[in-house]
This record gives sequence, structure tokens and C-alpha cells, in this order.
Amino acid sequence: MQIQVTVNGKTRKSEVEDRTLLVHYLRDQLHLTGTHVGCDTSSCGACTVHVDGVAVKSCTLLAAQADGCAVTTIEGMAIQDSPTTSQLHPLQEGFKECHGLQCGFCTPGMIMTAADLLKHNPNPSEAEIREALEGNICRCTGYHNIVKAIQWAATHSTKPEPNQQEEPVVADEHLFTNDVTTGEVVETH
Amino acid sequence: MHNQVIGKPISRVDGRAKVTGKAKYAAEFTAPDLLHGVVVSSTITKGRITHIDTGDALALDGVVKVFTHQNRPKLAWFDMSYKDLDAPPGSPFRPLHNDRIKYNGQPVALVVAETFEQARYAASLVKIEYAQEPHETDLQHHLDTARKPASGLASLLKPPPPKARGNFDKAFTEAPVQLSTGYVHGFEHHNPMELFSSTVVYGKDGKLTIYDKTQGAPNSQFYVSQVFNIPFRDVRVVSPYVGGGFGSGLRPQYQLFLAVMAARELKQSVRVSLTRQQMFTFGHRPATVQHIDLGAQPDGTLDALRHAATAETSRFEDYIEVVVNWSGALYKAPNAQFDYNVVPLDQYTPLDMRAPGGVTGMSAIECAMDELSYKLGMDPLELRLKNYTEEDPNEKRPFSSKQLRACYQQAAERFGWTKRSPEPRSMREGHTLIGWGMATGVWDANQLPARAEAVLTVNGKLRVSSATADIGTGTYTIMTQIAADTLGLPLEDVLFRLGDTDMPLAPFQGGSLTAGTVGSAVKIVCEDLGKELLKLARKMPNSPFAKAKFDDVFFVEKQMRLKADPSVRIDLQTLVDQNGGRAIRTTATSMTNSLKQGKYTRYAHSAVFVEVQVDEDLGTVKVTRAVTAVAAGRILNPKTARSQIIGGMVWGISKALEEETVMDHRYGRFMNHNLAEYHVPVCADIHELDVLFVEEHDDVVNPLGVKGVGEIGIVGMPAAIANAIFHATGKRVHELPITLDKLM
Amino acid sequence: MITYPFQYKRAGSISEAVALLAEGGKALSGGHSLIPSMKLRLNAPDALVDVGRIAELKGIRLDGNELVIGAGSTHGDIASSGLVQQHVPMFAEGAGHIGDPAVRNRGTIGGSLAHADPSADWPAMVLAADATIVVEGPSGSRSIKATDFFTSMFETALAADELITEVRVPVENGARMTYQKFSQPASRYAIVGCAVVKSADGKVRVAFSGVSDTPFRDTAVEEQLNSGQSATSVASGVSVMSDHYASEEYRRHLANVFLKRALNAVA
Repeated sequence: MQIQVTVNGKTRKSEVEDRTLLVHYLRDQLHLTGTHVGCDTSSCGACTVHVDGVAVKSCTLLAAQADGCAVTTIEGMAIQDSPTTSQLHPLQEGFKECHGLQCGFCTPGMIMTAADLLKHNPNPSEAEIREALEGNICRCTGYHNIVKAIQWAATHSTKPEPNQQEEPVVADEHLFTNDVTTGEVVETH
Repeated sequence: MHNQVIGKPISRVDGRAKVTGKAKYAAEFTAPDLLHGVVVSSTITKGRITHIDTGDALALDGVVKVFTHQNRPKLAWFDMSYKDLDAPPGSPFRPLHNDRIKYNGQPVALVVAETFEQARYAASLVKIEYAQEPHETDLQHHLDTARKPASGLASLLKPPPPKARGNFDKAFTEAPVQLSTGYVHGFEHHNPMELFSSTVVYGKDGKLTIYDKTQGAPNSQFYVSQVFNIPFRDVRVVSPYVGGGFGSGLRPQYQLFLAVMAARELKQSVRVSLTRQQMFTFGHRPATVQHIDLGAQPDGTLDALRHAATAETSRFEDYIEVVVNWSGALYKAPNAQFDYNVVPLDQYTPLDMRAPGGVTGMSAIECAMDELSYKLGMDPLELRLKNYTEEDPNEKRPFSSKQLRACYQQAAERFGWTKRSPEPRSMREGHTLIGWGMATGVWDANQLPARAEAVLTVNGKLRVSSATADIGTGTYTIMTQIAADTLGLPLEDVLFRLGDTDMPLAPFQGGSLTAGTVGSAVKIVCEDLGKELLKLARKMPNSPFAKAKFDDVFFVEKQMRLKADPSVRIDLQTLVDQNGGRAIRTTATSMTNSLKQGKYTRYAHSAVFVEVQVDEDLGTVKVTRAVTAVAAGRILNPKTARSQIIGGMVWGISKALEEETVMDHRYGRFMNHNLAEYHVPVCADIHELDVLFVEEHDDVVNPLGVKGVGEIGIVGMPAAIANAIFHATGKRVHELPITLDKLM
Repeated sequence: MITYPFQYKRAGSISEAVALLAEGGKALSGGHSLIPSMKLRLNAPDALVDVGRIAELKGIRLDGNELVIGAGSTHGDIASSGLVQQHVPMFAEGAGHIGDPAVRNRGTIGGSLAHADPSADWPAMVLAADATIVVEGPSGSRSIKATDFFTSMFETALAADELITEVRVPVENGARMTYQKFSQPASRYAIVGCAVVKSADGKVRVAFSGVSDTPFRDTAVEEQLNSGQSATSVASGVSVMSDHYASEEYRRHLANVFLKRALNAVA
């Protein structure tokens, strides 16, 4: 079936199978791989995105159910994010500054869930943060710095909502290239 | 003397990539015409495949091929070729090798299709018939078949149990205070958040670029090269970001084999990702049964110590971990005896999981010491101090450094241990019982050889690389710090890269050895680069450095300066310009100083103090407060290190209270093989956690004096929690995890 | 990933949904019970009729002495509704502890009731509240008392071609009510969920989720409590579930503890 979804501010018309889950549509068709898959049971929260402004687990939603909706993924959170200018969302800054991440796999889902929390509750207590994250699993950090990161963002969130006009980041074919062996450094002037 | 960034709480250099979703994990690399493979898993535990019907699957649109043992390509014949660099003694499991089923969940077919949806549906249509045979999966029912494990290369890092000392039997029999106790631990699965995936990009020339989830890209390269008989240069394994490992990525998992096999047969790029359920179909922390006997004087002096452990392994490999050695090294009991055996069962070979063996064995000895303290009527901390040793009684040699006493003191003080009322069940609030417990942690501080490359580019930026991994630990960050520090550059001028077999060889990331191992290589290669810079400086006309030796100079603020007269200085950029416009490149290997290191036992230590609250009606346990003091040599970055320790402590909470893969032995199958039922802590399960780093100087462990912090955070936690639960409830639970039913 | 193909249809109104359901398939509301069960292949309908956008199913209002909750209301809607907090506070309390925030943003009361998971939270609450479930089918609408709704494990009085449209809850002045649960630690479903409503006259209604394979009103306990005795016969005459988290014995124990805690909360 055909769906039309506004993803990170950009309207996309796509052909999907009826059974395609939103998370696979985002990852496999739009190459927005910042939204991760960590389980099959709606337990881990790594796939959390916003649909029409609320946090949802994109593994538990058909792409068809998002037809006509606005979807924001982690790639759409930064206020400005280009090689020359950069202004991250306060939550992104917070997770970076407060070491709210280690392997980084759960991080996009944590940030999207936290963004939903801060929208309803701009100054959450530690207990409220911990409750709000009950559907997101982190296996590395022990959660303490995640709580701190969200508290940091709560006190720094004077910045505007994510820029909906921004082009989504389309993942490169090979973002990671080994510049040491592919020649950057052996070039002469 | 000119340290700038080592020891500073630097934020992660990979943080930006990870908070923006740009960090790409193995399943997120793509290639033109990428095919998708989905694994079909065995539903029986032991027997043979009698019939496979792939007709319905192949009839679906988009399905390209179904691989089974019947149509797989001919591959390396000898077991030897399937041994990866971390393989224990035995014959490694070979996916799709023949019709034999060796364990439940074994991969029996790979369905390859144009889309993931097609492959997944087709996989559900593959019909497989089996002839079942009776299986044995229950360790406790087969303890009579326990035997010594085979030994092999693995024993280099995993020594066998220490030799007996004194006369245990006599000393134990004569000891005025005796304790005989035992502990049983269940299965656990690593469950990193990232699912195992391999994306194999098939090059025009047949060369492979493999994006693999691994803790050691070189190990995956080695394995693929051996099994498929491909020269190393034609297999490049790349793994820049890894979504957690905890040991699960130490050995290549079967999705790598299957993806490479399919890509080579189909001459097309293939990705194979496992499901969460399939994450329970390879290595795990083994179930164990341990027995401890302690004989003591009334003043607490240990005369006799026996620690015996039996662990399960597979029928095809003898997985080994170090379980019983720790107790012998920690306490100076003059009469001691140790034993470690395995029971082969019909399941997959266990695999190192965070503090393998260490957390198992230490949980047992530290609970036993707690039991003994109550028998003696002695404070548990005092009992530890009574038997404290400055020399390793196993090897009769000194420790390279051991600030455990300071750990005990500082953690006890921070926790407020002296306010503890010793009697069990004596600290209650309403129907909440409160308990305080403590325990010790020990872990290896090993160093292996490693290689690194450093390049000072034409624009004065430093590029350092090594084929190590960062599974979330902070390797990118601390290596950047070491390199920046060594050559006096700001962090933003240094780029450290890893996770690529085109880079100089380094060991896998595991055992807390990366900081010391790769850190030493980075330090040495940067020093070598500094020596090259000095050579260039000396060659300059009228150079003030003309007679300087390397020891006479230092690097700071993008300059090389003379120690004797720091006003004599030269910009590194000027030196690169002297090099005829070419970058300056060095490669170096850090070797271990076995002669020096062999004279010492090298351990990191910790002391853990824990408060629990037990709901008397429900049996639920909350770890409300925990303090860990860690002595792990030099701390390169307190921010990353602290996070490692807190993460480890939460693993300890999980091991003590939550985590267990429960097997239904009737079927030989894990029942809770998903994250809806396999309980790992969420944010709301975690309360106050405090970490102290105790100052410790060590110039033996490695040139940096670091011991690594990946494991030490978990080791002491489970015992401290179990001991606190005893203090709260008066009930000693001899099985981990301590789930609520065991407390009711 | 859902392993098999099916057809997705979207209904714009209740009547369209009923017409589409007559062609077969299952109604898809928030999808937070159905999609996970389809992923695990516990449920494999040929078609899904998406009722998630039907405006008539949304909204919470007071109708006389009944609170009317549209079947398409999410758990989050219910938890944060002022009307619910005022008139049936137990529903707000209970809804606020279903799953996690993302689940509460999508999952609906109608979907949960239709799915009838024995460990879901809504069944105990609608039973104790003496609610009525209104459904629409090819032959029009009918009302089913909550006590007649749950027939066995995952089975209800709802016919395959019927759609739940609203839940009507009697508003009792002066009643006190609570929902207390012991959550499964990894998924937070109710190992034992106990709902208690105490009317102004002191009479109580008690219902349990999670205890048995069918949620139930514990009439034996109600009789004991309403005749001034203590509750000694919790879950008598029902078969109590047993799994590796909670044995039958431990579940019974929990049912007693949570009844006690619920009774204290409404005392």
C-alpha cells in the first residue's frame, strides 16, 4: 500500500507492505538507522520515535498506522546539525555531557522517551524520570548518568523545538571509512 | 609532569555520533542489492534432521535460496579451521555441518530473500522433521559425570586451579570453627542491546568487507579466512561501533558464518541479523555448583580453605573459567585445596560473560566468609582484615600493588558501616526489613601485546589507529587522551580509530585488558612518532635540538620543548613541514614485560557495601544504597571509569536478584528467551550507587599503570547483596538469583 | 517483524468498521496487545481493520450517573483525564501504571478488553467498577456487563464481527476505590492485580486480574467482607495460575497481600 508520512519535516510517499512495521520502514526504506531494534517484544524501547508528537515504540506500530502522521526520529532532533553549524537538542547535549551513554545503542530511544517526558513535565524529579524510562533498557550505564543527562536537559531546555524543516540525515553508504589507509594522511601538499 | 588530559573527566569523543543516531552498528551498513538472511532454529535439543521441505519457502516471491546442511558449499574439513582465537579446547560448532542436532535453537537453515519481510516469512515456512534422541541439560542431575576440563591455549589467560597447600583435611578436621556450604548459580545470557548481525559486502573481485558485531574484528577475520579458505587480505572486517558485548562478541557467532557463506555462494551482499530469541542460542554464563569448606580459629584466623566448582559445558568444547583461584589468592589460609570440573551437556558452549568465573567464584567465597563471620560472632569486615594478605598465597609472590585495605576503609566509612547492628532482622521499618552486607571484589590486570599506528598529518593533526574495539567502554576516548597527552596536542587535533582489520593488530576487547594493552601501544607509538619528530628537529640547520636525546625533550601545546630550557621550543607543524610535505608515520608494538610482570600477581581490587530493603509480605528486594571503592591503578578518565563501575554494579544487582535464563529440562529449551521475560534492571530498579577510586600506583602492570575497570564493578556486588539480604531476613539463600519465591 | 502477510484496512467510522469486520479479520486499535501477539504468531488474523482513527471512539464524558469512556481512549488519555480522576479515580490510577509511557500513548482500553489477557489490568478494574461494555455489531449495539464479558483465557463475549465502542462506568457518590498490583518485573503486567470498590454504604466489590486464567469478581470474599467477616477465602474455587515467576502458592499469597493492601487503601 502507499503511505505518506512526514518524517523529520520532510514528506515521504512510500510503497510499503501491509505488514511492514514502522521501525523497518524507517530503517530499511528511509535509511534512518538511528532508530534501533533491540527486541521482538516491545520491551527495550530502542526503537522509540515520536508519532504526531508522542513517544511510541516503532516496533509496535505498522507503517500503515503512521500514514498521514508526522514522525520525528533521533535524526530529526538536532536543531542544526551540519558539518559547519551544529546545535544539538538539549537532551542530546545532556547525554553527551553527562556521559548518559556507553555503547550508544539504547541512546536514541532514551532521548526520544525523555523528550516526551519533558514535554509534559519540564522539571521532573529523579523518581519521575526513573518511572518514565521504565520501557527503555540500557545494559551499559547503570542508568545513573541517564537520569543526570535528563536533569541537565531540563535545566537547559530554553532552546526551541526540533527544527521540522531540516532535511533528514540520509545515512551514507559507508559512513565509516578508514582514512588512515585510504590515503588522507599520505597525501602531499 | 606535563599531563594535560590523562586523568581528566573528558566527555566521550564518540558521544556526538551516538546522540545524533549517526553511529552505525553492524546491521546499519548497506550495499547495493543487499540480500537478507533469516535463520531457522532447531526446535529439538538432540537428534537428527530426517527431512527438510523448503518448497513453500522457495515458492515465495523474492526468496533467493534456502541453505541447509544438504546444499551448503564444501568448506574447510578440519576442526582446527573452525577454531577462532578465543576457542576453548574441543571441536567448535559448525553451522549447517550435517544432520546432527547438538542443542536447542541450533541454526538449521538460512533463508535468503530480497527483503527482510520476505526472508522472515519464508523462514516460517521451512518444514523440518527430526528424529529426537534423549538429551541431558540439567547440571545438578549429572554432577556424577563431572571431569577435569581439557587444557589448551586458553589456560594462558585462564590458569588451572592453584596447587593444594598444607594439609587441608587435617586442618579442617581440627579447626575449632567449621563451615561447609554451597552455592548454585543459574544460566545467564549477555543480552547486549544490539542484536548480533553481520553485513557482508561482496566486492566485484570477490573480496569481502564485513561489518560484524564483534569485540575483536581480527578474530572474525581470522575465522572467516580459515573456514572459507580466503587470504587475509581479501577479508576486511569493520566494526566501528558495537552495541554492547559483555563477552558475547569474543567469539564469532553463527550469523557471521551464515552471512559469509551466503554472500560467497550467491556472489552478492548479504546481511544476517539474529532475533532477540536467537540471542539465547549461543554462549552464556554457565550454570555452576560450588562447594566451600572453611576452618577457622575462634579469633577468625583461617586455617583451612577448600573451594570446589563444577560448571556445565557443551558436548563439543570444554569451556573453562577461573572460579576457585580467587579465594586462594585473597585469603592466606595455610591449608587449602581447590578443584574445578566440568559436566558436558547437550547445550551450546558457555562463553565469557562480564567477570567470567570471577563474579561466580567471588560470590561464593564472599558469601561463605559472611556465613563464617556469623558463626564466629565477628564483624564480616573484621574477618576479612584478619585474613588479609600482602602476598599471593597461591603463587607465593607479591602483588604488583594492592590497595584493598584502603578500599575497605574508605568504602566502610562512606557507607557508615560502624552503625550496623550485627544481629539479623534487627533493622526494620514497618514491614520492611533492612540489611547491610559487604563483600570483596578481585579481577585480573592482564596485558597482552598490541600494535598501533600513529600519523602526524601534513596539517599537524594526529591520527592514531589500532584494530581494537570499543563496545561502549570508552576506548575511543581514553586512547585519544593518551595520544594527545603523549604528543602535547589538544584533544580536537587527535583522531583515534579502531575496529578495522586494515589497522594494526590488537587483541579483542575483553577481560578489562584494553586500557593497559592498547593504551600501552598507543603511548609507545606516539613516543616513537615523537622520536621521529626529534630526528627532524636535529637535522634542521643550527638546531637547538641538535644534541638532544628523546629523554631531553617533552611535548606540550603543539610544541616540542627542551626539558632543560623550555623556552627552546619548536612547533610540531614546523617539523612536519620539514618532512618534505609528507605525513610522518610510525607503527609500534607494545610487548609485555613478562620477566618483570611474572614476579607479581596483578589484580584490581574492590570493596562493596550494600543496603537492601526486603518487603516482608512479598519477598521483594530493593538495593537502596551501595558503595564500591575500587583500586585499579591509574584512572585515565574518571567519567568513563565511573560509568563502567556503576554499570558493573548494576550487573551485580541483576545477577544477585534478577537475571537467570530458566531452562525447561524436559525440552532442553530456555523458557524466558526474550526481554519481556528475561529480567534485566530498568531505571526504576536502581537507587543510590556510589563509587570511590582509591589511589594506587603500579609500575608493573603496564607502562601506563592502569588495571582496567570493565569487570571489577560487578565482582563483589552479588555477594554483598546476598549478605545484606541475610542480615535483613536471617535467611541464607544458596542460589542466585535470589528471586522472591526463594525468600518467602 | 510480523512473519506472515495480512491485509490492512482502515475504517473511518464505527459503521464502516463493523462492515469491514463482517468480511473477516480483527480490529486494530492501538495495537499494543495485538501487534506483539502477531509478532510472536500467537495471533494470525488474515486482515486487520484499523479503528484507531475513528473519532466516535474517542472521548470521555459524563452521561447522567455514568462515566462513558470511548473504547479508543488510550491508557494515557484515561490516566490524565480530569473526569476520570474525579469520578472513577481507580481507573486513572490503574491506567497510569500500565506498561510504560510509550505503551500508554498507544494502547487503548477497548483494545485491551477485547484482547482479554488474563494478566492485563483493565479486567479487574471494570469488574470491580461494575462497568458495562457497549459493543456494535451487524445487528446494532448491545451492552454486556463486565461480569459476563470475560469467558476464559483470551476469550470474551464479544463476537468476531463486533467492535467495542465504549465502556460505561457507574459513578457512585461517596465510593472509595483502588487498584493495586504486583507487576511482573520485566514486563510490568499484573502477576496479581486487585481492584476494590467500596460503596458509600460500606459494601465492597473485589476483582482480580492475573490470578486465574480468567479475570473474576471474587464473590466469596465479597460475601465474607460484606457480612463483617475477614477475607479468608481469596480466590476460592478458581484455578490459580502457576509459572516460573510465581507458583500457585505464591500467587495465592500475593492475592491475599494485595487484597489486604487494597482494603487498607479504601478503609
